[in-house]
Amino acid sequence: MRTHAPSTTPAMIAADIRIEGFDARSWTNLLSLFAPQVAERPKTPPRTSDAPEVDAAELASEPASGTLFVVVTGGGRVLAARHTKRGRVRGLVYTGAGSLATLGASHRADRVVVLREGALEEIAQRASTRMERHDDYVTQWLTVMRAVRSAIEAGLVEIWPRPFASVPIPSAAVVSRAVDAVLPDGRSLVLGVFSRTTPWTLVALRRSEGEIDRIVGPDVISRWTGPLGGDFRRDHRVISEAVGKHLAPVHLGIFADERDLRALLRDARPGAWTRAVVARDIIVQPTPPYIAVALAADGMRAAARRTEAWIEGTAVREVLSQLAPIANFMRGRAAEVASVTQLLGFDPLKLLAAWLEGTEQDPRATAAGHPAPHEDEDEDEDA
Amino acid sequence: MTAAKRPSARRSASPSELDKKRGATLVPERRCIRVGDRDVPFLAGAVHYFRLERAEWRAALAEVAGLGLPMVETYVPWAVHELAQGAFDFGPSHTPGGDPQKDLGAFIDIAKELGLLVILRPGPHVNSEMTWFGLPERVIHDRACQARGPSGGPVVLGFPPRMFPVPSYASETFLAETDAWYAAFAAVARPHLYPRGPVVLLQVDNEAAYYFRDAPYDQDYHPDAIALWHAYLRDRHATVAELGRAHDATYADYVDCAPPKRFDLHDEEDPAAPSRALSLHLEWAAFKEHLIERAIIRMKEMLVRHGLGTVPTFHNLPLGELTAPLSLAKLEDTVGFVGLDYYHARREHRAIKRRTLYVAGTSRMPVSPELGVGAPPWFTPLAHEDSLYTALVALAYGLRGFSLYMAVDRDRWYGAPIESHGTPRIEAASWKALLRAMEATRFHRLARRVRVGLSIPREYVRLARTTHVYGPITPVMLEAIAGSPIEGASDHPLGFKGPIQLLWWKMLTRFADAFSRAGEPYVLIDSDASPERLTGIEALVAPSFEIASPERWRALTTFAKNGGHVVFGPAMPSLDLTLSPRPFEVPRLSTRVLVDRDADADAVVSELLSHLSPLPRFSCEAPIEVCVHEDDGRPRVLFVMNPERRAIEASIQLPYPIDTTDVLSGDLFAGEHTLTIAMAPQTCRMLRIDRAARPDAAVMGGGALGEAG
Repeated sequence: MRTHAPSTTPAMIAADIRIEGFDARSWTNLLSLFAPQVAERPKTPPRTSDAPEVDAAELASEPASGTLFVVVTGGGRVLAARHTKRGRVRGLVYTGAGSLATLGASHRADRVVVLREGALEEIAQRASTRMERHDDYVTQWLTVMRAVRSAIEAGLVEIWPRPFASVPIPSAAVVSRAVDAVLPDGRSLVLGVFSRTTPWTLVALRRSEGEIDRIVGPDVISRWTGPLGGDFRRDHRVISEAVGKHLAPVHLGIFADERDLRALLRDARPGAWTRAVVARDIIVQPTPPYIAVALAADGMRAAARRTEAWIEGTAVREVLSQLAPIANFMRGRAAEVASVTQLLGFDPLKLLAAWLEGTEQDPRATAAGHPAPHEDEDEDEDA
Repeated sequence: MTAAKRPSARRSASPSELDKKRGATLVPERRCIRVGDRDVPFLAGAVHYFRLERAEWRAALAEVAGLGLPMVETYVPWAVHELAQGAFDFGPSHTPGGDPQKDLGAFIDIAKELGLLVILRPGPHVNSEMTWFGLPERVIHDRACQARGPSGGPVVLGFPPRMFPVPSYASETFLAETDAWYAAFAAVARPHLYPRGPVVLLQVDNEAAYYFRDAPYDQDYHPDAIALWHAYLRDRHATVAELGRAHDATYADYVDCAPPKRFDLHDEEDPAAPSRALSLHLEWAAFKEHLIERAIIRMKEMLVRHGLGTVPTFHNLPLGELTAPLSLAKLEDTVGFVGLDYYHARREHRAIKRRTLYVAGTSRMPVSPELGVGAPPWFTPLAHEDSLYTALVALAYGLRGFSLYMAVDRDRWYGAPIESHGTPRIEAASWKALLRAMEATRFHRLARRVRVGLSIPREYVRLARTTHVYGPITPVMLEAIAGSPIEGASDHPLGFKGPIQLLWWKMLTRFADAFSRAGEPYVLIDSDASPERLTGIEALVAPSFEIASPERWRALTTFAKNGGHVVFGPAMPSLDLTLSPRPFEVPRLSTRVLVDRDADADAVVSELLSHLSPLPRFSCEAPIEVCVHEDDGRPRVLFVMNPERRAIEASIQLPYPIDTTDVLSGDLFAGEHTLTIAMAPQTCRMLRIDRAARPDAAVMGGGALGEAG
């Protein structure tokens, strides 16, 4: 880590970030929306051995899941292999870079990572010498990712499959600009999720002096709001007002029932979000320009699909009536913004949906190379 | 088991004359701290004053006392109190114009007013999810303080919210900085030591495992560490020639022996015999333990020099304690006791059990300085049920006290039983009931009768660490994640008949499972542990291969000479740790075994138990597990555990009729010959034994066996 002059890279996560106001349930609920695998980890079956060890024959009937790590010498001798779900693997034979898919199939793994002995040490050393003293956590991770990529390019690490092989690692400045669009400085973002009439999880985060410096949960927010009515379609105003008063003016608020939001986050079909907004299954209030653009784009995609459907007999009136509010909104705002999608080069909502689908779908489907549910022509084009 | 070389006074279990003059003393044989005329068990709750609003301290502490905890503990982070080098803010009661939120003295005073004793943990490492682990930024970025990797660069730890270069435990600059911090801290803490104040325990550093960059060749190549390495070699090898023979190398001077920077013995495809160069790597692994121990000794001396020597000290090991590059047992030569930190989900039943059996078998005071209640946001999420299950299972297998970490919520933490402004959550009721039951049964004084030990051979642990192949995904991390100390070790046989670095653990786990199947309690005893830890142990299982530590072997033969039974194997050692041939004495009363299958271990265990005196047993069928805790031979508490994810009606065979009460639910269970208990999935019941109609013969038949410790 270099310790000379301060870096000019903008910080995105504050060094003194505060995260508070969650109990175990509200935190786990929040995780279950965006990182379901992490939230589910404690529920996986207990281990049956203090020295778990398997061989390929024992794995044959298992569903494919997890990652197979293999460490080999420069000469290709296997020094150790472990399956993240099943423990050490006996008797694995590595026959070269072209064999990773076969290894994945025979050892029932979603992913295979082959490391040359010393590769991880090399990555750690490269990353540590390239980090600057004032780099923030995001910038530090970008440095690590670049070190990993150079190790892959040098043949020290082989990964199968490599879904992001062609995606360039963005610079910290690019990520910072994307964050600017999502959450401008001095503003906050709120997510309120209810289970019927009870807050299921609440979270608000603030950006101050360019950095996300505070994340608060339901304990804190409910102290600010006082008792809530139990209907998110009405409570959202109270919550946003309280967060605005105690944290920072709300730039984006998303409020929904847990089941609806969970389904939406995993729904990559065009128009899903637009329909939910129009039907007030989800309240997006305030609606920042980029969300409006994204929703409009989503709606337009849906319209395009519905047009095809209309030709086949679906009523166009229904489609147009659903899109009307968004279209009106867009007329007023679209010109003034650059959407996050344009900035990043990908649609974050779609990426999230695809990722969540990927983490939750039947792992056998992935291992076999089957597409995730809801993938369609749009996804392929965007990919 | 290698205590012969150490001063016996340090090993004394009873308080020394000096201890008696102290305000608070550790009494390990009663598993408590003697405070005035009270025996206080190690039961505490963590409250971070510096993270709570000043106005909330009293309410938070009152609720901690309300849980039934006699002690409160807090870190005292260096970074919080240091304004600039040499300038500190400890709040208005110590620093005029200081920040009230940093008023450590006022916090201690409130605790005292509420009848709480206080444990202080001044670091320097505090972790505590703090940025830079609670160290001042100027210190971690001081090149002279930083640990060095093999290429001389900094060693960066990837924890959020900032990765940072970790300090060097060898750096004289860092130790001098620590000394200055301790001096400032001591000026505030000293007036509050018992009996003038409520402070009765101090922790020296925290989870000292090289800041989780503990892989063998991650660090430390700091110039001061290399100087220490050479001094270490001088101490261990009388001459340079001897050193050269040990490493199969030629040195003109000790300084010619450079520390190894990678494990280079994997390069040879299939060596016919082990390379003597292995001794260099084993010596490096042993040195890494020495380096940490030396730093802890230095820090302890600093605290004493600054006037804080009148209260006992302790240390805590993180998850992954078996592969951590320090020895719990040896560290207890320096600090009063060393405990383990627990952060487990219910599915990790085996890890909770195994870790507790290790601390119960190895530490003189088996407690948990951090028993996770809740978790930091960047860990695997833990629910209240996970924390409670962890506590109950750990108590079942021999933990005698804990500190609820956290008792009161704070920044970068969720799930504590008390909210940050002092309101108890509904979950607090369970902890209150558990603590009430522990007090009522004087749980810290109870014992689980154990007469079998599984020996953890330190040299094989070092071999596993040395052959670690995942670099900065370190042995400690992998053990914490995957639950075994061999997760990162290579399969390479290194010229031996098999990969010893794996086989020793496989043998032990086979025996552990076999003893469990036989219903025979056991503990895990580190080969570094004091001979006192073997009190009451009748049989010891000790893996042995071609290479072994002569010190460990001497301890085994001594144990056998004193009437203990040693089960060893598969090989009779013939090489010492320098790979030199030497004679190893066969223990007098011993059995050499080859255990390739579970059935082999079952047969050995069956044969072994037939030689031990019968015990009155509470038995049940797997997967249900039971543990009985006694007080002078009287059964007081019965734990029943269901680690499975399905409900089970447990049927426990009783040696005599008992009446019991579940201390948490209040359910009553009684039986003459059998106790039938409905066990929900992944639950543990702590049953207070209200009546035991126990024939004297059943009580006396067990022999004089006590829990190790």
